[in-house]
Amino acid sequence: MRQHSAVSWWVGALSFTLAIVLLLLFLAGGAYSINPDDLRLNLMGRLASSLLGLFGLCTLVSGGIKQGFSYTGMILLALFLLAPFVWMVLVSLHPSKTPIPTLDLIIPKEPAWDNYGKVLFMPNLPVSRFFLNTLFVTLSVVLGQLFVSSLAAYGFARFQFKGREAAFGLFLVSMMFAGPVTQIPVYLMVQKFGWLDTYAALIFPGISSAFTIFLLRQAFLAIPKELDEAAKIDGAGYFRIYWRVLLPLAKPSLATAAAFTFFGVWTDFFWPMLSTNSTEMRTLEVGLSIFKNSYGAANWPLQMTAAVIVMAPLLVVFLFCQRYFVKGVMMGSIK
Amino acid sequence: MERKESRWGWLFIAPAFAHLLLFALAPILYAFGLSLFRTRLISPEREFAGVENYTFAVAEPSFQNALWNSARYALVSVPLGLIVALAVAILVNQKLKGITLFRTIYYIPAISSGVAIAMLWQYVYLPETGMINSLLGMLGLDNKKAFLDDVGSAMWAVAIMSVFTGLGPRMVLFLAGLVGIPQELYEAGALDGATGWRAFLKITLPMLIPTTFFVVVTSTISALQIFTPIYMMTKGGPEESTDVVGYHIYTEAWVNFNTGLASAKSFVLLVAIVAVSLVQFRMMKSQLKGYSAA
Amino acid sequence: MRRWFGLLAMALSLSACSTDPDERIVIRVANWGGADDESDFAAKQRGLYEEFEKRNPDIKVVIEGIPGPGEYVPKMILAHNSGATPDIATLDASSSALFINSGMLMDLATLIDKDQEFKLNDFYLNIVDIARRGDAIYAIPNDFTPMVMYYNKRLFDASGVSYPQNGWTFDQFRETAKKLTKKDQYGFVFANWFPGWIMWLWNNGGDVFSPDLKRASGFLDSAENVKTIEFLRTMINDDKSAPSLSQAAAAGVDLFANGQAAMTVSGHWGMVGYSAAPKGPDGKPKITLADLGVVMLPNNTGKPVTVMYESGYAITKRAKHPDAAWRFIKFMTSYESRLVLNQTGIAVDARKDVSTERGKDPLEAMFLPIIPTCRPPYGTMVEGFEMVETQAQNAMDSVLKNGRDPKAALEKAAKRIDSELAKRQVKR
Repeated sequence: MRQHSAVSWWVGALSFTLAIVLLLLFLAGGAYSINPDDLRLNLMGRLASSLLGLFGLCTLVSGGIKQGFSYTGMILLALFLLAPFVWMVLVSLHPSKTPIPTLDLIIPKEPAWDNYGKVLFMPNLPVSRFFLNTLFVTLSVVLGQLFVSSLAAYGFARFQFKGREAAFGLFLVSMMFAGPVTQIPVYLMVQKFGWLDTYAALIFPGISSAFTIFLLRQAFLAIPKELDEAAKIDGAGYFRIYWRVLLPLAKPSLATAAAFTFFGVWTDFFWPMLSTNSTEMRTLEVGLSIFKNSYGAANWPLQMTAAVIVMAPLLVVFLFCQRYFVKGVMMGSIK
Repeated sequence: MERKESRWGWLFIAPAFAHLLLFALAPILYAFGLSLFRTRLISPEREFAGVENYTFAVAEPSFQNALWNSARYALVSVPLGLIVALAVAILVNQKLKGITLFRTIYYIPAISSGVAIAMLWQYVYLPETGMINSLLGMLGLDNKKAFLDDVGSAMWAVAIMSVFTGLGPRMVLFLAGLVGIPQELYEAGALDGATGWRAFLKITLPMLIPTTFFVVVTSTISALQIFTPIYMMTKGGPEESTDVVGYHIYTEAWVNFNTGLASAKSFVLLVAIVAVSLVQFRMMKSQLKGYSAA
Repeated sequence: MRRWFGLLAMALSLSACSTDPDERIVIRVANWGGADDESDFAAKQRGLYEEFEKRNPDIKVVIEGIPGPGEYVPKMILAHNSGATPDIATLDASSSALFINSGMLMDLATLIDKDQEFKLNDFYLNIVDIARRGDAIYAIPNDFTPMVMYYNKRLFDASGVSYPQNGWTFDQFRETAKKLTKKDQYGFVFANWFPGWIMWLWNNGGDVFSPDLKRASGFLDSAENVKTIEFLRTMINDDKSAPSLSQAAAAGVDLFANGQAAMTVSGHWGMVGYSAAPKGPDGKPKITLADLGVVMLPNNTGKPVTVMYESGYAITKRAKHPDAAWRFIKFMTSYESRLVLNQTGIAVDARKDVSTERGKDPLEAMFLPIIPTCRPPYGTMVEGFEMVETQAQNAMDSVLKNGRDPKAALEKAAKRIDSELAKRQVKR
């Protein structure tokens, strides 16, 4: 953290005071702005002076002009990105079926907590079962995919073998072919295996991913080969080198891959919808869309309640691992 | 020794490769087979058609429209997403108090459920009561525009949404790249008078080329394949202005059940993606050469 | 972490085992949608399933709920294609052509003939006909609904406007809507989805298809249809007696159920919502069933007509236990079961005895004269009618949302529909 410099203190204090004065003037002037153009100008003035005030405050608190700018930018972006989520939570507390509230009425007078009861205990939607399914499937896919894909990444990063480039190319091309069309043969195959409506159908198609292999191969390439050689001299076999040397060093990238996969699987919609039938096998995302379909757009409060219920576990998981994740990624490198 | 290593290499990639064969290559081959037939999912009849599905697809105005929409979408969303992510990464790559909090917040849209995000951004773009229009209304500006219903703005609305929902992963990748730049380079640059903006152009950007490449390639691929937000938010409308190839193929396969034709269209999309990626590979390679020579 | 994961796996496998300790016959029943907190339809339905299992201890019912119609149809077709269909499919009239023509469903005629207890004559035969092809019958109907005009009597009384009468005309409707429009209140709210507005075309003498169902050009883009769309546009843009689509979207609520619009078009299912309307500041619901009136849509042809949506139960050809499935259908379409379900207000019953019983209710009685004017939806005749819906809806949207010329928009849609239909021939 930089020292408080006198210049930044003055800049911060001045802009903050100026902003307060301007804002007060604009607020007072609002009553006299009768024609719409004046009013618009007045409102813009309020916005501009609020921004100036925010900047002044940031500068004062952080102790530098540059930092002041940075914080102002970061706070504005954060507000913009969080606003829909805050709105989601607030609207979920409005009584069922009320119109979309305008901003001045956004805080519910009496929070309608019973919305949550309504959604969680819908007679034919076992939300807790959906939750367990989603958790189990997601964790299985993440663990399985990390293992299978990191093995392959190790093979690609550390061994010379015939057909290596071609095989890697095939993985890359498979990433580029996505289409509703391949779901037909995959469905037919899963059906032949007798996996329809089982966890196997939800887990096995995701157990390896070209993207994860690509990502982890890059990470392994960045680890000096001398470490492998040293372990070899100590008598370690290839699998041991992979397990004991490379995997621990690639932890940040493993964390990234795990997170990408986790959120991807948790929020997958079309495949779980196709490959499961009975209500007991549904995932949260499919459950939520049953909900969205039944209400159309005509009941925002209950829809938002359902959205909160799907989002909350995601947020919790993310906040738990974000420290490891966002920081971890930065310590590793993906080049 | 060489032979032995070869065997080990294959052994390690074997599980992933078997999975690839089973769940990716076999279905792709199956789809290729389908694309050579006149066939529909709801009928056992099929007739060999050779390349007819391909010639038909390429000449079909609605498919051309979809290709054009996808191109437009990628041209807007990829550069915009890249620039915003880089700017944000630089912003949060400072040693400031509470910086992790901001990084965390910026990642949240990316972890959200697709259905929930679609509902939220429908709200963001609603007329009058929506988030953007409420703010415009507070400033006394026109607040009646339904961004997702307007032919002129719907595609932009979806693209801008993707800039923010995709911000997290891109920002993290750039952060990793930024952190990976050795501090000594900046110190050496400072001696040559390269500070601030000049340091950014002379050191940061060139060092970020590999990351940029990864981000550009992966986000172009996903931009050209975009489906879920369109399915949830616009269904290709208004007036098919957001009918991108991913959604077009979906309707061909799952609403019209023209599986042969849909497969052919998937391969046209694949060829387009591979072509775009190759061009990007070329361009990046020449860029890299330029820098290593300098 | 590892331990938790193990526990989770164990819990899931335990609960999977515990639900299936017996050797009962399992019949799988597919339906769509069904999350609703305010109607007890779902709860009543579940109660009936349990009752059926109690009376038939050898059968276990597994319900396969699929999010919405948009997912239901592809999923069922794919299941059929791969031999994974459930025993019973709920058949929506709007996609029945697709289901029947693809050979997914079993002909129930022999089962019906064999069964002394079951009488087809208990049902409205024109409703049964929806799934009849020659002598073959592919589904037993549950219930159906005509699309009707609902009006709010309280708002009519407050403005001193007399209630609409069956057989009214477009102009009478327009004048009525104007009279009911004032501050914070609209005369009419337009339901902007094709299945909810196709009848407007019919009632002005237009249609969507040629009689042989091969062509939309010359029909969807007819002069009558252009006039119909212009008529609706005038009400929204000039009279302002109906909210613009963006105003309706901004409200994010059903304005009719919210007591802010005097008329709207919906099916019988609309009543489920109106019977649990949002409450006003005084704590009273903004609309109650006592406020409601039901009338035919206006027409300019002298021959009022409306569309009817219907659902029924069908047994698939690949059903493992057709006899058990038939017992289930018989139970679910019996007088006592239908009476329980019908009381939730979801639709008009396909059973004459249930409908007569329910017709004693004055509001229900208002539906009865409309039933003879019903036409089945095109989905009973055209496979994959969703494509037509999408294109026609595109035309309506481009007029109402983006200010395009109705004639040009309809011509574009008609051409597009024709080319999509041509694409569907395996032999081109």
